[in-house]
Amino acid sequence: MDETLALLARLPEAKILAGGQSLLPMMNLGLAHPGAVVDVNGLPGLETVTEDGGGLRLGALVRHRTLETSPLIRRRCPVLAEAASLIGNIRVRHRGTLGGSLAHADPAAELPLVAVALGATLEIRRLGGSREVSAAEFFRGYLLTDLAPGEMLTGVRIPASPPATGYGLAELVRRAGDFAIVAACAVITTDGAGACRHASLAIGGVGPHPLVMRRAEALLAGGPLTDRRLAEAADAVPGEVAPESDVHATAAYRRAMARVMASRALAQARARAAPGPGRPA
Amino acid sequence: MTRRAPGEHPAPFRIVGRPLPRFDVADKVQGTTLYAADWRLPGMLAGRILRAVYPSARIRRISVEKARALPGVAAVLTADDVPQNALHEDPTGLGLSSFATPVLAADRVRYQGEPLALVAAESEVLAQAALEAIEVEYEPLPGVFDAGAALAPDGPRVHPDRENLLIHWKLRQGDVEGAFRRAAAIVERTYRTQRVDHAALEPEAAVAWVDGDGVVTIRAATQVIEHFREIAEILRLPHNKVRVQAPFLGGGFGGKEDMTVEPYAALLAWKTRRPVRMVWTRQESLLARPKRHPFTMSYKTGATEDGRLVAQEISLLADAGPYPLLSPRVVFAALVVGCGPYRVPNVKIDARAVFTNNVPTSAMRGFGAMQVTFAYESQMDLLADQLGISALEIRSRNFLRKGDRLPTGEALETQAALPHITARAVEALGERSRPSAPSGRVGRGIACNMQPYGRTVWFRDRAQAWIGFEADGALVIRAGVTDLGGGQAASLAQLAAEVLGVSPDRIAVHIGDSALTPLAGGTFATRQLYMSGNAVVKAAGELRAMMIPVAASLLEAAEPDVQFADNHAGVIGAPKRTIALARVVKECGRRGIPTALLSGFQGEHAAPIDLETGQGRTFPDYTFGCHAVEVEVDAETGAVRVLKLAACHDVGRAINPQSVEGQIQGGAVMGAGQALMEEVALEAGINLTTLFAGYLIPTAMDVPDVRPLVVESGEGKGPFSARGIGEPPTGPPPAAVAAAIQDAVGVRLTDLPMTPERVFDAVRARPARPEHEARGKV
Amino acid sequence: MAGAAPLRVRFVLNGSSVDVWAAPHETLLAVLRDTLGATEVKYGCGEGVCGTCTVLLDGAPINACLLLAVQAAGRAVTTVKGLGAEGHLHPLQRAFVAHEAAQCGFCTPGMLLVAHAFLADHPGPTRDEIRSAIAGNLCRCTGYTRIVDAIEACAGTGKGARGEPASR
Repeated sequence: MDETLALLARLPEAKILAGGQSLLPMMNLGLAHPGAVVDVNGLPGLETVTEDGGGLRLGALVRHRTLETSPLIRRRCPVLAEAASLIGNIRVRHRGTLGGSLAHADPAAELPLVAVALGATLEIRRLGGSREVSAAEFFRGYLLTDLAPGEMLTGVRIPASPPATGYGLAELVRRAGDFAIVAACAVITTDGAGACRHASLAIGGVGPHPLVMRRAEALLAGGPLTDRRLAEAADAVPGEVAPESDVHATAAYRRAMARVMASRALAQARARAAPGPGRPA
Repeated sequence: MTRRAPGEHPAPFRIVGRPLPRFDVADKVQGTTLYAADWRLPGMLAGRILRAVYPSARIRRISVEKARALPGVAAVLTADDVPQNALHEDPTGLGLSSFATPVLAADRVRYQGEPLALVAAESEVLAQAALEAIEVEYEPLPGVFDAGAALAPDGPRVHPDRENLLIHWKLRQGDVEGAFRRAAAIVERTYRTQRVDHAALEPEAAVAWVDGDGVVTIRAATQVIEHFREIAEILRLPHNKVRVQAPFLGGGFGGKEDMTVEPYAALLAWKTRRPVRMVWTRQESLLARPKRHPFTMSYKTGATEDGRLVAQEISLLADAGPYPLLSPRVVFAALVVGCGPYRVPNVKIDARAVFTNNVPTSAMRGFGAMQVTFAYESQMDLLADQLGISALEIRSRNFLRKGDRLPTGEALETQAALPHITARAVEALGERSRPSAPSGRVGRGIACNMQPYGRTVWFRDRAQAWIGFEADGALVIRAGVTDLGGGQAASLAQLAAEVLGVSPDRIAVHIGDSALTPLAGGTFATRQLYMSGNAVVKAAGELRAMMIPVAASLLEAAEPDVQFADNHAGVIGAPKRTIALARVVKECGRRGIPTALLSGFQGEHAAPIDLETGQGRTFPDYTFGCHAVEVEVDAETGAVRVLKLAACHDVGRAINPQSVEGQIQGGAVMGAGQALMEEVALEAGINLTTLFAGYLIPTAMDVPDVRPLVVESGEGKGPFSARGIGEPPTGPPPAAVAAAIQDAVGVRLTDLPMTPERVFDAVRARPARPEHEARGKV
Repeated sequence: MAGAAPLRVRFVLNGSSVDVWAAPHETLLAVLRDTLGATEVKYGCGEGVCGTCTVLLDGAPINACLLLAVQAAGRAVTTVKGLGAEGHLHPLQRAFVAHEAAQCGFCTPGMLLVAHAFLADHPGPTRDEIRSAIAGNLCRCTGYTRIVDAIEACAGTGKGARGEPASR
């Protein structure tokens, strides 16, 4: 690890090669001509999945395929497993990594969205130091993260979810496996009696990075999880997003779909947050 | 799966009509098939093309010195290095006009991606470096990017010496004005189809070299080996000094019908005297390889109160890009079948193609007839709505029948089993599905089509085939056909096996070599079975006729009692009296009777149509079909999922039912892709769709099981009464899906593709009404 | 990186050891096709979306166009020629022939490998599960129905079954 970090410090123009599912296409297309590539695939300890309190700690090199199939992840954090299953195709998932997807920071990608919605913490290391940053602060802009030259993402911590927590994930894709046009991830914790203790809602594909829907979250917190309340929260979403038009969809459509996907994600989250002890998100 | 139309006769065939495994599939599953890019020769160079960055520009300067000086670069060529830098075309095939298309752009660029220069280097990496070292100074110019605007008399011209109108075909029959005045119902709409890419999984590729006899040889993924003539012209070589070989293609669909890599690989090989491999990148292919024409189609259709069509007034406009390629012929096919498989007494059609500075457009599976299906079928449904009759009913009242006059004035010579075909397709849908979610709405639709097979009859189409016995009784077929994956080669073996009694596993088929296989014309226009199939049956029949008397004499039987089957000559009714065909071959040799021959099939020929009225003979025949579709529309997002797709076509006779069904399934899915998700988007001539990730073709999760339904009317002009099936299945899906969407959510879309956003917008714009219920029209 | 010194790469290809030199930037696809002559692995897009370059890396299907050749060091790579024993077709290959699940055949090697890896873990899949498994392998010729038929026909036979002779 130290050798790797030393290399990254010495060669700031070097590209990190993890899954290669974003870097290699750019090289094949002539869009990237890295002077050096640092292959981190052999680094020990970066592919582990461990319990961390009631939550999870995932190494940055955990493959999408592992996220999709690991029994521990499916139990502790099923939204992560579901999000991973929607990525690309099976071949991409065998190589692509959690850290790679987060570092690449495509605004329509599933893992950045879920990381933000879950309030994940990212572990970053450089030669001679390390730091942590919240997922929401990690994503800065279109394909832009908080990573500085010489730094490398090494792990992701997912907090424990309280009992009576449910999640929802809804995305609008043209074909299965494509990047989403719009995607929504919701996490709702109830008090066990139908009221909302905490709600988290993030939308992807409507801005340069996943956006947290603070107004919607505020509308839900502390109140009853009625259909009407959920609808009000979803209705608050279009006002909080700033999508752009592109060849795949217009801004108006993305805005409208943000509401629909939010509504579906919230409904799923509510349904999964069954009353009773110890049921994880 | 295959049922007969009423009145059909069962076929007494041994080999034809059986779902035999194709010999090429066994190789393909083992990965041993060598496609064009798999061919390796010692000393092979990598060839690449430098492509224009602007859609319309003058080339002030192009400088290749730096590129030529790079290590490992064997050649850098520009327009000046091309012996004849022009492809001379007769775009209509009628001698009306001529056109010279540059091989490499010299001083003017007319579309983004137009080839400017060629490099050959020791490796792909070095070739790429050479491309980047070529300096080009452009002066961007105004361009023409809208087909409608291209017709404006005072706008920019794509070519300085001619107007933007490339072709204007006309069809006039009867009196449409009068008919509309008397019509009880009239529907007027404009429909738009999009630019589509063939997206064959194999990118364009060739290896070219100069052989020991100085023959420039190009082993290319091409549908047409006859292009050796054009390459010879470009190189200023005699035609017999250029040879094109076509291995099995990884899909063509019309995208490999015009030349793609061939002239460029040939130029580099000819210049360097070394083998050159040129493989286009997928992104290059998406950028610049000619696409399906986007059509704007304005239809005005009139009918009587009981739904009989009285008039069609149609205006078609196709964006032809800057060079003619096959545009005039695509638009002609659209003209001929523009009214669909229906009787219409009064017709006025104006079909135009215009030059623009958008990406070139040319042949693609369906060839104009595909686009108009969307329009004429949508019109039928809208008329039915207006008149309060069902989609089935309005069609039944107007279906063409054998003997009816087509809008071109010619009589339909073969059976049009449309009622039966349509009934089969509808029946196959079964019970209506329930929605899978509260926001889901299920709807159903049908669409019928007619697609010509065989080339226009003015072209004196011809196909040759050579058939011969080996001494051991095995058979060899040599035919210049190209196999795109549709079983073109295997079907020839199946036909010869039927006539000559040689088992298919003892037949070797050599195809696709302009120096060694008799020319058969290319694989396009759904012509190969009709032309080469007939040629093989003819040759086999002539050979059989020569050998039967010899066999009869050996068997001491009367000639009519002799049959060839299972590699033996035998006596009908006397199973013990047989001899091996090898023996017959030997005896023929002894008597000086040939056991091999070359023969040919001449397609129908007639004079060209009248250019003012469009009246006259056009295509030899047509294939009719009907698809029935069930979709579920997510009313909240506009997303459309195809739940069921039944596709029925009358193929006359299914030579190999399994291959026929495969073509139907694949074509239907291609049509579904164009209905819902495919589009090459251009903006001011700049192609926005250059990643395969962005060009959406259906995956296995985007389409359901496709039910292929084969009708055999026993009437077709191909071998054993077969009709062509390559193109027809691409036509109906867009119209059928549009009808199903209307059934589901009450909106009729007129622009392809019918993306979720377009469906969503249409539903939002729909006047408020009670919760829509499926009307159960199908 | 273009111009950097070649590296020696040793891996196992279809059960046999191979020892080649590869430039650092060269993909496994390029080395397989151009250095090792394994042209059964195809180039279709270079983006990882079409599936024609599918190989198995230690049994898992991956995009050969998105792996640097040097990353294959010490690993086992399987192409379609590694399916089935010598001279015998794998049951999947036999099923593809019997059901005519290949027309042009360009997607077929990749499709077979993905299907093989899938069936190894899922002995009794539904048709929808099969469709999901092959969703990343594009086909433009068949419309997929016959491919699903062939894979479904093989489900339950498991890997390692001996196939029929490979001759036509």
